[in-house]
Amino acid sequence: MVNETISYVENGKLCQFHGGLILEHHKCESMARPLARPLLPDYLRVSLRLNRGNVSKPVVDVGDKVLKGQIIAVPDTPRGVYVHAPTSGTVMEITHRPVASPDADLAPVVCIRPDGKDQWTPLEPVEDPFALDRPTLAQHIRKAGIVGMGGAGFPTHLKYQKPAELLIINGAECEPYISCDERLMLDYPHELLTGTRLLMHAAGAKKAIIALEDQVGGVRSVLEKIIQEKGYTGIRVVKVPTIYPAGGEKQLIKVLTCQEVPSGGIPMDLGIVVQNTGTAKAVHDAIILGKPLVDRIVTVTGDVVEEPRNFSALIGTPFRHLLKLANTRHEKLHRLVVGGPMMGYAMPEDGIGIDKTSNCLLALSEEITRHHGPLMPCIRCGECVNVCPQELLPQQLHWYIQGGDLEMARQHHVFDCIECGACAWVCPSQIKLVDYYRYAKADLRYLDYKKTKAERSRIRHERHDRRLERLKAERAARRKRHARRLRDPEKSSQVIADTLERLKAQQPSAAKNDSMKTTSQDKRQAAVADNGSSNNTGKDNALT
Amino acid sequence: MKLNIESAPHIPRPVSVQRVMGLVILALVPALLAHWWYFGPGIILQVTLAVIFALAFEAAMLTLRQVPVKPFITDLSAVLTAILFALCIPPLAPWWVTCLGMFFAIVVAKQLYGGIGHNIFNPAMLGFAVMLIAFPREMSNWLAPRDIAIEMPGLWDAIRYVFTGGLSASQTTYDTLTQATPLDAIKNGLHQARGLSEIRSQPIFGDFGGMGWEWIANWYAIGGLFLWRKRIITWHVPAAVILTTIAFSLPFYLYDSDIFLSPLQHLFSGGLMLGAFFIATDPVTGASSPRGKLVFGAGVAILTVLIRQFGAFPDGVAFGVLLMNSAAPLIDRLTIPAPYGGKARRHG
Repeated sequence: MVNETISYVENGKLCQFHGGLILEHHKCESMARPLARPLLPDYLRVSLRLNRGNVSKPVVDVGDKVLKGQIIAVPDTPRGVYVHAPTSGTVMEITHRPVASPDADLAPVVCIRPDGKDQWTPLEPVEDPFALDRPTLAQHIRKAGIVGMGGAGFPTHLKYQKPAELLIINGAECEPYISCDERLMLDYPHELLTGTRLLMHAAGAKKAIIALEDQVGGVRSVLEKIIQEKGYTGIRVVKVPTIYPAGGEKQLIKVLTCQEVPSGGIPMDLGIVVQNTGTAKAVHDAIILGKPLVDRIVTVTGDVVEEPRNFSALIGTPFRHLLKLANTRHEKLHRLVVGGPMMGYAMPEDGIGIDKTSNCLLALSEEITRHHGPLMPCIRCGECVNVCPQELLPQQLHWYIQGGDLEMARQHHVFDCIECGACAWVCPSQIKLVDYYRYAKADLRYLDYKKTKAERSRIRHERHDRRLERLKAERAARRKRHARRLRDPEKSSQVIADTLERLKAQQPSAAKNDSMKTTSQDKRQAAVADNGSSNNTGKDNALT
Repeated sequence: MKLNIESAPHIPRPVSVQRVMGLVILALVPALLAHWWYFGPGIILQVTLAVIFALAFEAAMLTLRQVPVKPFITDLSAVLTAILFALCIPPLAPWWVTCLGMFFAIVVAKQLYGGIGHNIFNPAMLGFAVMLIAFPREMSNWLAPRDIAIEMPGLWDAIRYVFTGGLSASQTTYDTLTQATPLDAIKNGLHQARGLSEIRSQPIFGDFGGMGWEWIANWYAIGGLFLWRKRIITWHVPAAVILTTIAFSLPFYLYDSDIFLSPLQHLFSGGLMLGAFFIATDPVTGASSPRGKLVFGAGVAILTVLIRQFGAFPDGVAFGVLLMNSAAPLIDRLTIPAPYGGKARRHG
C-alpha cells in the first residue's frame, strides 16, 4: 500500500474525487493588495481553548506584565499545546468570553492590553534541528503552540507520533474568498519550504508534495525556483483542479495519491501527514527563529469590505480592528463569518479575537446572503448526491434525522460527512443540511457515551458483587475452620497459644491505633457484605 | 450592532424548487407541441383544465392543512402533475375525468400524504391509474393521428365535446374521430388470435411504434436529454428503463415475433418514453442512490413489459411506476452506497 502511494506520487497522475462544486473564486479582490501588518489594537483576546475542547491552564495573573512570546497558559494533557502572549503588555482579565469557534460559545480567554513596545521575550532558536530525533522536534512544535492553521486546529505535534511516508502541504484552499494561503506562499516561500523540510524530518518522510489550486498564478514557479536553487530533494509542487472541496484533507489525498483514507480513519493509516501551509511557516518560525505561534495571516474580505486584503495579525486581534483597517461599511454589515462562505461560521459580535485557526473574516451584506426561494420540504431531487465528495446520500440522511431515526443516519454513514456544505449549497429547497448532520453526530456521540458509561457501570457493579460474595465465602470458611479447631481440645490450646503469640508480637508500637482501624474496617466490610448479600438476593430474584 | 448568525452556506446558490419544476415543464413543451400537431388542440384544453383543477385542489388542501398557501402553490409542482396527467389521457376525455383525476392526484396521492416531498406514489400516475380502472371507456377513446385522421377536431369541437359530449356543429360523429391506441389495437388483435404482423399492417402503426406516438416519444426523449444536461435528472433511471425494456423484451420477441412485441415497438408506444424520462425519474417517489435508481428503472421496465404482454391493460407504465414506488423505500435500504474510504472495508 505504501509503495503504491509513492508510485502515484512519482508518475504525477492525478485522480478525481466524487462530486464537488465549481464556485466563483473571489480571491483576486484580497490578493490585489499586499500583505499588511496592522497597528496594535486596544486589546487582544486570546482563547485558551483548542477547537477539540482541550483547554490550557493560565499561568499568568491579572495585572501581570507579559512579553511577546511569553507562555501564558500550559496544557494539562499531552494533547494540548502552549499558549503565548501575542505582544508585550498587561494582562487585563482572565475570564470567559465568546471565542471564534463554530457556535461562538464561552471559553476561557486572556485579555491583554498591549504596551505598544511589542517586545519579544528572549528567543531560543533550535540549533541544528535536522540533527534532532523526531519526538524532540515534535515537542518543540508543541512548545511553540502550533495547531493546524487550515481551520480544524488539530494539535500539530500529535501528527508526528508515528513515522510517515509522505507529507502533503495543503496550499489548496478551496473555499471562495480565502486567499491567506496564496498570500503566504507568495510572500514567504523560503519559510514555507524550510518549514516543509522540518516537517518532513519530524515525520521521517522522504517525500513531500506542496499542493496548489490550478487557479493560483505564479506561486508554483517561485517555489520550484527555490527548490532548484537550494537543491531540496523530495519536494514537489503539484497543481490540483480547483473543485470545491479539493482542499479537504481526504479529497486532496484522493486527488494526489488516488487512495482513500479508510472510513473512520486518519491519513496516517496510509502513511500520510497533511499540513496547512500556514502551519509549515509557523514551524519554520518556531524552530529556526525560536518564535512561538503568535500571529497568522488572515484574509479580510466580503462584499461590504472596501479594501479587502490579507493581514498578518496577532492572535487575539479583535475582528472589529481588522474590519476597520480594511475599510468596512459597517452599516451594511449583515453577517460576519469566520472562515469561508461554505464552511465558515457566523459570529454574534465583532469584538471576538481571531484564533490560531481563523483564516478569513468574511463581511457580507444582506443581499448576498439572501436565499433564492422559500424553505421547502426536501423533494429528494438528488443534486446533493451528485455533489457530495464523500459519496453519501444527503437527502436520505436528512430524511432519517428529521424523523428522529439517528441509528439509520449512522447506517447511512453520517460520521463520514466532512461538513463541506456542498449539499446545502445546491439544495433547491434551501435546507441547511449540514446543521442536521452536526446535530445527528453530536447526539449519536452522546448516546454512545451514555451507552458505554452504562455498560461500564454494569461491569463494575457485577465485579463488585462477585468480590463481596467471594469475601463472604472466605470468611465463612475461615470461621468454620476456626470452629473446628476450637472444638478439638488438643488443637484448641494450640490455637489460643498461637493467637496470644501473635498479639504479643503486634503489641509494642501503635498497637492500639492499628487494632481500632482493623475493627472499624471490619465493621465497614461487614456492613458492605450485608448490603451486597441483600443486593445479590434482589438480583437473583430479578433474574429468576 | 445586531449580526445575523445563520449557518453556512453564506452565499446560497440561485436554485429553488420552483426552478426545478419549471425546467421539467419546459422540457415537456416540445412533446406537448408534437401532441398538438398529431392529435389536435384537445391537449391544450386538457392541460388548461388540469392545471386549473390541480391548483384549485392544491389551494383548498393547503388551506385545510393550515400551511402557507403561497410558497406551495407557486412551486409549480401541481402544475407539473397536471401537465403529466393531461399528456396521458385522451385529448377529448370529458372534463370530469380530468377533474376526478386531479382530485386523486393532488388531494389523495399528494396532500393527504403531507404535500410536496412526502408523497409515496407519483401523483399524476395515481390519478391516471384510478381513472383508467374506474372509467376504461372514457380513457381509451383516443383520436386518430393527423396522417390518417378523416378530420381533425378544431378547438371549438374539442371544447364542445369535452364539456357536453356532443359534436353537433360539424355533423361529425365521435366514431369518425376516435381510434384505439396502437397498444389497444395490439391487445385486441392478440385477443382475436391475430398475428402481430397482421395487426401491425393497420395504418395506425408507424415505423417502430404507433403513428404520431413514436414522434411524441422522440420529443419526450429530447426533453429528457435536456433535463439530463441541466442536471435535473441523472442518466440512471432512463438508461435502466430503456435498456431493460430492450433486454427483457428481446428474448420474448426472438422466441415468437408474432405474439410478442419487438423491443422498438415497446419503446416507441404508449407512455414508455414519458415514463422513462419524466415519471420514473420523479425523485420524491423513486430510489435515491445511483444503484437504487438502476434497480428502480429496471423494475419499471420489467413490469411494463409484463403488463403489456400478459396483463389486462394495454399499457403498463403507470402500474409499473406505482408498483415500483411502493418498492422504493426497500430498494433504498438495500442499496446504501459505500462512502469515500468505505469501499475497502466493505470488500475486505
